[in-house]
Amino acid sequence: MSGAWREAYRLQRTAFPELAYHAIYSVRMGNVAPSIPEAELVRRSERRVLQSKLLVSALLGLLALGSLAILSPTAKGFIAPDLAGPLYVETVIVGLLVLELALLWWTGLQVLPTFLSSAIVPTLEVLPIPSKTLERASFLLFLRLFDLPAGTALVMTPIAVGAALGSVAAGIAIVPGTVATVVFGLGLSLVTGKFFLRHVQGASGGSSRSTAVRWAYLVLWTVPAFAMYGYVALGPRFIAWLTAVASGGPSGAVDALLATFPFPLASLPSLVASGGVAAPDAGTLPLGIVLVGSAAYGVVALLVGIWLLAAPRTLARTISEGGPPGALPGRLRTRSAPMSIVVKDLRISSRTPGFAFLVLLPLLDAIAIGVWTVLASPVPSDAFNVAVAAVATAALLATFFGPAFFAIEVMGYSYTRTLPLSEGSLLLGKVTLIAAIYGIAAGTVLAIALAKLFDPLDFVGFILAELPAVAAAALLELGILMRVARRRGLPITNLYSGSWWAIAVSVPGLLVAGLPLALFALARGRSDLSAIGLMGGVALVELALATGLAFLGSPSGAR
Amino acid sequence: MAPGTPALPLEIRDLTVRYGETTAVRDLSFAIRPGEIYGLLGSNGAGKSTTMKSVVGLLRPQGGSIRVFGTDPAVDGVATKRLLGYVPESPLLFDALTPWEFLEFVASVRGLDASAASERAQRFATAFQIPAEMHRPIALLSMGTRQKVLFVAALLHRPRLLVLDEPLHSLDPRSVRIARDLLVHHVADGAGAVLLSTHTMEVAERLCHRVGILDRGTLCGEGTIAELRGSSSATLEEAFLRLTREEEGVQAAVLSLQEG
Repeated sequence: MSGAWREAYRLQRTAFPELAYHAIYSVRMGNVAPSIPEAELVRRSERRVLQSKLLVSALLGLLALGSLAILSPTAKGFIAPDLAGPLYVETVIVGLLVLELALLWWTGLQVLPTFLSSAIVPTLEVLPIPSKTLERASFLLFLRLFDLPAGTALVMTPIAVGAALGSVAAGIAIVPGTVATVVFGLGLSLVTGKFFLRHVQGASGGSSRSTAVRWAYLVLWTVPAFAMYGYVALGPRFIAWLTAVASGGPSGAVDALLATFPFPLASLPSLVASGGVAAPDAGTLPLGIVLVGSAAYGVVALLVGIWLLAAPRTLARTISEGGPPGALPGRLRTRSAPMSIVVKDLRISSRTPGFAFLVLLPLLDAIAIGVWTVLASPVPSDAFNVAVAAVATAALLATFFGPAFFAIEVMGYSYTRTLPLSEGSLLLGKVTLIAAIYGIAAGTVLAIALAKLFDPLDFVGFILAELPAVAAAALLELGILMRVARRRGLPITNLYSGSWWAIAVSVPGLLVAGLPLALFALARGRSDLSAIGLMGGVALVELALATGLAFLGSPSGAR
Repeated sequence: MAPGTPALPLEIRDLTVRYGETTAVRDLSFAIRPGEIYGLLGSNGAGKSTTMKSVVGLLRPQGGSIRVFGTDPAVDGVATKRLLGYVPESPLLFDALTPWEFLEFVASVRGLDASAASERAQRFATAFQIPAEMHRPIALLSMGTRQKVLFVAALLHRPRLLVLDEPLHSLDPRSVRIARDLLVHHVADGAGAVLLSTHTMEVAERLCHRVGILDRGTLCGEGTIAELRGSSSATLEEAFLRLTREEEGVQAAVLSLQEG
């Protein structure tokens, strides 16, 4: 190790606890750290960062082991009996590499905002450290956020592929593909991270175009999280399509597919295992495509790798788009206090991926299951069941994540508490937002499912019957949080420094949201309509009770 | 207070605030009259910010009472907060909002008329030379610009009592001048009042009608600048050091530094 690398390694070891601390507690974002000794805070944050990395690593390890199982002849006979063996192997390895890429990219999208908000690199910049050392220290700090997941992918993928094909050489042959996947995953994280800094977190306000770009990015940010769902839901369809196309002999479609990343690199193990003939029934050019494609992607990965060495340091200097110089502000738009809470939370979410995730997950989940409704349900009754499942999931997700919207108040909370905002207005604003997320998710499912539902009235009834239960669950969760805060004399948001509160209040919330759904499932044996009537009645009672509980003893004073 | 007598802008009696075992403010009593700019002076940790946070409802005192124009923040927090405008010491805001979005939120929560609030916001933004910053996220703004945004937010609803915790320390000279003139104008009609904390003696001398000096959570001196100076030709700084019994400590510290 050269002197610069050695010094960079030493630096990152000193700086990493600071990065871990800010990654977990976001103190520079205005969050409030728990009142425990600082040394324990640092130890706890390092432990939690390690736990997060272990979680992602475990998932990557399971994916590799899962692929090993899918590559077995028994599984092939079940999944793709008519697809040529080498092409099947390549397709499964491609699936694994794409999942690894998505997971690493997603991890990067999660951790980059905290990497930046920790201001760790700017802190080092002012110290008398040589530029090269600083560049390498920044790279190592960035890499440490991925070290275990990337290491797991690099070790487990060759083991799984080698074991599946019964060849050590085949296992070694997938190493270039795995390295390229890891490098591209990290590169994608940084590129999208730069975009995030410029156009999302640093986006100017006041224009609908800017708002659309922000939300489009945040949807993109959430999509890798659905990679696993897409793999399971669309994988069999992709294999069926590939079988049909490949059986037709050589075609441009197959050639184009084989040239796409990571197909050429994923073909190398089959090539090695079969002694130099890849996917013989797939086309006339596979060998050329595999070799040229592998070399090309290898060169690109090398270039990206070189770029990665310097990129984490420059990322901290990325300048946001800001507003046009000298632009005069327009007119202020005022709203009711609860609506102003909704708008504020949505605006903050549009620049904060963590909160955007809470808004988008129920929506994207509804869309994903909604699309599945259309794709997979041969008859309207099946479509109704899948659509009901989608709406139920959206209701439970909105309920589960609801309390987390209080965490938004962490930012700037001290100022907000000096405003004449009553507990009731705050509660109403948050409940409106949660109910709206459910409503939009359910409406989206309805819109997609209309293609299969000839009589959607029952489904509309189901959506409306569950709405009061979602509002009741949100009222109960947030009401409990407020009550505890009032009794302990704490700002509401301080409760979030102990995250178990968020989980604890979700339990009664989920029970309230889930009870009408359970009753519907039990009672629909007679007729859907009577079951919907029952769930609607129970949901309304729940809403009345939750409203009473939430506002009982609520002082007229602000928080 | 006799019936029919107008309520004072701020009346604090026997205020006690503790952080765990530490008493930050002990039996503090003072009042602000209509049309008055009242300055709180004190060393770091003297209890100035704690007092102000108690007035605006951020802290719950363990003893004593606070009245803002006769309303009790502990009983009717919303009504009290309608009367107040607050500029905190640390401008920690919603970093993910732009100033304009933040002002929309503040104006909405305060139930202001959109045109009047827009007109005032634009006027203040132009005066502080920040129109170009109004659509940039707060996270990207300098400390001084954030302070200006807080000034605009605090003045948006024509508050009757302004509570300003070290409001001028991040501002450029031009903005300091504008802010000072704004405060003078705010109390000129005799209806409004200002509670201001500062470390800068010059600010207190130029602006404040009366000053209260806090030392370790208690009021050790109060009066006009002239009253605090006494009959001697002492400066306010000298009077401050005398009242807080820090003269000797300062001299000893300077000596030890020079010897080092």
